[in-house]
Amino acid sequence: MTFLQLRDIKKKFGEVSVIKGVSFSAQKGEFVVFVGPSGCGKSTLLRMIAGLEDVSDGKLSIDGKDVTYEEPAKREVSMVFQSYALYPHMSVFENMAFGLRMAKLPEDEIKARVLEAARILQIEALLERKPRALSGGQRQRVAIGRSIVRNPKIFLFDEPLSNLDAELRTQMRVEIAKLHRNLGATMVYVTHDQVEAMTLADRIVVLRAGLVEQIGTPTELYDNPSNTFVAGFIGSPKMNFLDATVTDAGVGVLTVNHPAFIGGSIVISSPAAGRIRKGERITVGLRPEHLTLNTDKPRLRLTLDISENLGGSTQFYTTGGSEPVTLIVPGRPAIAAGNALDVGIAADHIYLFDAQGQALRA
Amino acid sequence: MPETTAPPSRVPNRGYRQWTPFWFLAPAVLTLLLIGIYPTIFALVTSFRRYNIARPREGFPFVGLENYVSVLSDGTFWASLGTTARFYITVLPIQIMLGLVIALLLHKTGMGFLKALARVTLVVPLATTYAVVGLIGRLIFNRDFGVANQFLDMIGIGGFDWLGSPSGAFAAIAIMDIWQWTPFCALIFLAGLSMVPGEIEEAARLETSSKWALLKHVQLPYLLPGLTALLILRSADVLKLFDMVFVMTRGGPGSATDLVSIYIQRVGFRIFDLGTASAQAILLLVLTILISRLYIRILYKEVQ
Repeated sequence: MTFLQLRDIKKKFGEVSVIKGVSFSAQKGEFVVFVGPSGCGKSTLLRMIAGLEDVSDGKLSIDGKDVTYEEPAKREVSMVFQSYALYPHMSVFENMAFGLRMAKLPEDEIKARVLEAARILQIEALLERKPRALSGGQRQRVAIGRSIVRNPKIFLFDEPLSNLDAELRTQMRVEIAKLHRNLGATMVYVTHDQVEAMTLADRIVVLRAGLVEQIGTPTELYDNPSNTFVAGFIGSPKMNFLDATVTDAGVGVLTVNHPAFIGGSIVISSPAAGRIRKGERITVGLRPEHLTLNTDKPRLRLTLDISENLGGSTQFYTTGGSEPVTLIVPGRPAIAAGNALDVGIAADHIYLFDAQGQALRA
Repeated sequence: MPETTAPPSRVPNRGYRQWTPFWFLAPAVLTLLLIGIYPTIFALVTSFRRYNIARPREGFPFVGLENYVSVLSDGTFWASLGTTARFYITVLPIQIMLGLVIALLLHKTGMGFLKALARVTLVVPLATTYAVVGLIGRLIFNRDFGVANQFLDMIGIGGFDWLGSPSGAFAAIAIMDIWQWTPFCALIFLAGLSMVPGEIEEAARLETSSKWALLKHVQLPYLLPGLTALLILRSADVLKLFDMVFVMTRGGPGSATDLVSIYIQRVGFRIFDLGTASAQAILLLVLTILISRLYIRILYKEVQ
């Protein structure tokens, strides 16, 4: 059952078009992540779902009810802001109770709900404190608690972890995932961090310049990115792109030229080979984690520029032809800068994109 | 040999001596001493002495608390203080309410140019001298050709003698004071409203659709420091309000607009009893300080 639906949503600030027609729908209980570079409109889209921004055009419905022009408080959504936005003059308890008081719930129920949320988030000891006496992580918990107590139809998160340090961010990420599992609530989460998107999402919506680039599960986006933008955005370190030329197009196979390839060209099997003609330019995408050293079938010859020892693995920054290629390999192979590396490609892990950057699919 | 000293990006302490700060501060401090502190001390000293400049032969004898006793047992003083209090509780709530409404309207999004224009317009009454406000008031409320009566004529209520009737004169000075000081309240409140972080206001909008609840629970805490300052300034100002009323009504008709400052001026410069006038002024000062302390204790609370 469709729980949250956006139909051709558009947003203009004056003459500037920020959201240029976004449609998608989410099921009840789904965790949807909007991801994209800054300025892509993901926060604006979230704020439109919350009702904090007017919708210029299109239709928005929550739980079967058209809320396009509904007031924020009547949409029964709650939001966790990047700055947490706690009321500075109220105690933690009052911060969490505020929405319930506004909804005129009986006092004993307010207390019960706040205590329950505090228990879930382990902030029972902080209830009497003012926000200024809390650390960033604690404020974050209070902000989430304030969302939970209202038992909203949809939880909205606007880059909630970006003000936390790296360790706390990982910890809160796990907690948000747990919370989602335990509450079974519908959540929409905005981030520019693809790791958060990959780990939290049931489905990811990749946005760029006010348009949806691709919608899919993390695995789908990783395995079948629909264009170079999504391919480059999902996965870390990001995918390597080689601008290559097709020198021969056979049935199901392409011969592709690039100076990084050993022997100048490689043969790639692709079901979309029939659509490509000889002489066309294509982009070959290779994920750093799919490149292997010490292989008996090397396909690429790269020159090492610099290596980074990450402890359990090593990241190599190399040049192939004139293009940078990153690879990440297990262990700590000791190779001096300037050396040539013969690198293999894990089977079936070559991504092909046409001259317009669209994925080559059958 | 190459030059080793770096070019001096800042000349350290050129001409800066121990007394340099003193000379920068001296003009302001001196002026303050001359027109603020000295007269206050003079008034304090005078309030304990008999000093009537019309009777120079009586000299300047110390009389202890005699002036204070006579002031406190003076019915006219209490009556004028009562008029001031009535004026205060008439104008201040209206100024605060109207100021808040204007501030809330200006705080809303949209209509950028008109709002900017309105903000500039708000400064005009503030920049007008009290005496000029009084003169404008006399013109507006003139019985025969004032715009107030023109307006009343238009809606069918004819020729009201504003400045000639006790309640009319009181209303007229109250209206002029409200005109002059509502913008000040609006600007103070507007500053307070813009202190509320956008995300906090938005968080509240997600929890309640009531504008009143938003104002009371989220915006008001940010308005309190400004409100306190405003109440203190206005209290001091109303207690010493003189020029505007003097120009408009000279305290009349009868004693309808005889504010305490007008009465003190009359005692000091019509009867020339400077000892008594000084005692009255000092009592007024004490009253102002008490009221200010009270407001600070009750209202003042920093957010964050």
